[in-house]
Amino acid sequence: MMGTNNTGKRLRIDRLTKTYDTRSGESIAALGPISVDVKSSEFLVIVGPTGCGKSTLLQILAGFLKPTEGQVLVGDEPITGPSIDRSMVFQSYALFPWLSVLENVEFGLQRKEISRRQRSEIALHHLRMVGLQDFANKSVDELSGGMKQRVAIARAFAVDPSIMLMDEPFGALDALTRRLLQRELLRIWHEQQRTVVFITHSVEEAIFLADRILVMSARPGRIRAEWNVTASRPRDVTSDEVRQLERQIYALLDEELLKNFAPGSRTPE
Amino acid sequence: MASRFAPLAKAARALPFVYAAIAIVVVWQLVVSVTKPEPSVLPPPSAVVIAFGHLLRNGELGVDTAYSLARVVFAWLLSAVVAIPLGLLMGSSQRLERIVNPFVELLRPISPLAWIPMAILWFGIGESGKIFVVFIGTFFPILLSTVAGVKEVDPVLLHAGRVFGCTSRATLFRRVVVPAAMPSVVVGLRVAFGTGWAAIIAAELVAAHTGLGYLIANGMDVLRADLVLVGMIAIGVLGFLFDAFFRYAQRRYSRRGR
Repeated sequence: MMGTNNTGKRLRIDRLTKTYDTRSGESIAALGPISVDVKSSEFLVIVGPTGCGKSTLLQILAGFLKPTEGQVLVGDEPITGPSIDRSMVFQSYALFPWLSVLENVEFGLQRKEISRRQRSEIALHHLRMVGLQDFANKSVDELSGGMKQRVAIARAFAVDPSIMLMDEPFGALDALTRRLLQRELLRIWHEQQRTVVFITHSVEEAIFLADRILVMSARPGRIRAEWNVTASRPRDVTSDEVRQLERQIYALLDEELLKNFAPGSRTPE
Repeated sequence: MASRFAPLAKAARALPFVYAAIAIVVVWQLVVSVTKPEPSVLPPPSAVVIAFGHLLRNGELGVDTAYSLARVVFAWLLSAVVAIPLGLLMGSSQRLERIVNPFVELLRPISPLAWIPMAILWFGIGESGKIFVVFIGTFFPILLSTVAGVKEVDPVLLHAGRVFGCTSRATLFRRVVVPAAMPSVVVGLRVAFGTGWAAIIAAELVAAHTGLGYLIANGMDVLRADLVLVGMIAIGVLGFLFDAFFRYAQRRYSRRGR
């Protein structure tokens, strides 16, 4: 099958910390120590208050940032930099406006071993997967936000990654589009069985999507709590079970958010 | 249905410019009718229309326009060939920018017009001197907007480029930085064409036997204000049309890929 050679890999985050040095010479602990073991093909969702370092964590997983201490293993390989094997969906879509929809999805496929023809076949296959095959030759500027993010999802899956990093991918979308894309993402994830690390502000989104939810503490971000969500999909977000979980997570998040404003704490951002 | 009226809507956008042109002519005619100046100081619009027809028929206007335009286009292309690569490199290398920037900032305040005397001393009144002046006038706008274009590339696009296979700096530069900076480069080219057009007229005023600048300088020498005004109107209308063309090209570029 085209574009489905890979499977999800295990991702081990081992005693990771990130400390920033400010210009005045002090160092600010942004993250950790954090240790997480993400099973292969698991859908992991991380929620946390603003400024808790969850984006920093994702940047480290992507290979854009080096951790101060600790390491991350993909399978058995430590992360040394960005890799096409760890694909990414960004909140602001990050599509290339000078390329057509199809060319955007083809972007990651420009390697010698893939012919031009195969490249557009793979890209079209993934556009079909997100229902945008008829928009292949459009400019990305002509698309709505929800359509742009579908193109970004197609681009991210087209490179056949073993790990998918998603940085608040639906944060900029309206509620209805968001619901729709959540469903589509679950369908694609179910078909492709990749490991997903998904960051969000939305507790409801976390519960709807996740195999496991991690709640992060206020800065420096650590794992404050963890839930396995066992309810079968598609989940009814109005069910009592979900509502109860939502209440528990909100209670924790409220506690952590308040810490940001507690006397003596550093205000993030 | 809407598309049937699209040409009409486009024409409607040109209307304010037509009104402004008419207003200028009306005020001009009023000034002439009220103050009755010597035709060598301010001829009526009708005299200028006659002179325009004359210069058009005997080919002088066409030849002068072609000379001015050829000089600008040549020098502008030369500028682009040097300034775009240099700007792309300066935008992506802080070290290079630190070295080149002081030269840019020291030379840039010297108007291209201030270079005309040196251009004449160095190159005489041949073509190279005028090309040189226009080169100076077009170089900095292209360079600066190219540098800005590179520096303002959205960092998230660089991240996306790196995730999706641009493993070396060179690949990232070629596949993401350069195309992302292009709209800003096109703005630089447009602005530069305008400054180049202004510079060539000035250079031709001082040292030329051809070109629209020469046409108006010569009109002044022989006390023919009608010729001067024909030249000025040609300069204005052409400058306006070039700019409109570049704006159109810019819009087309930003919508590429359909």
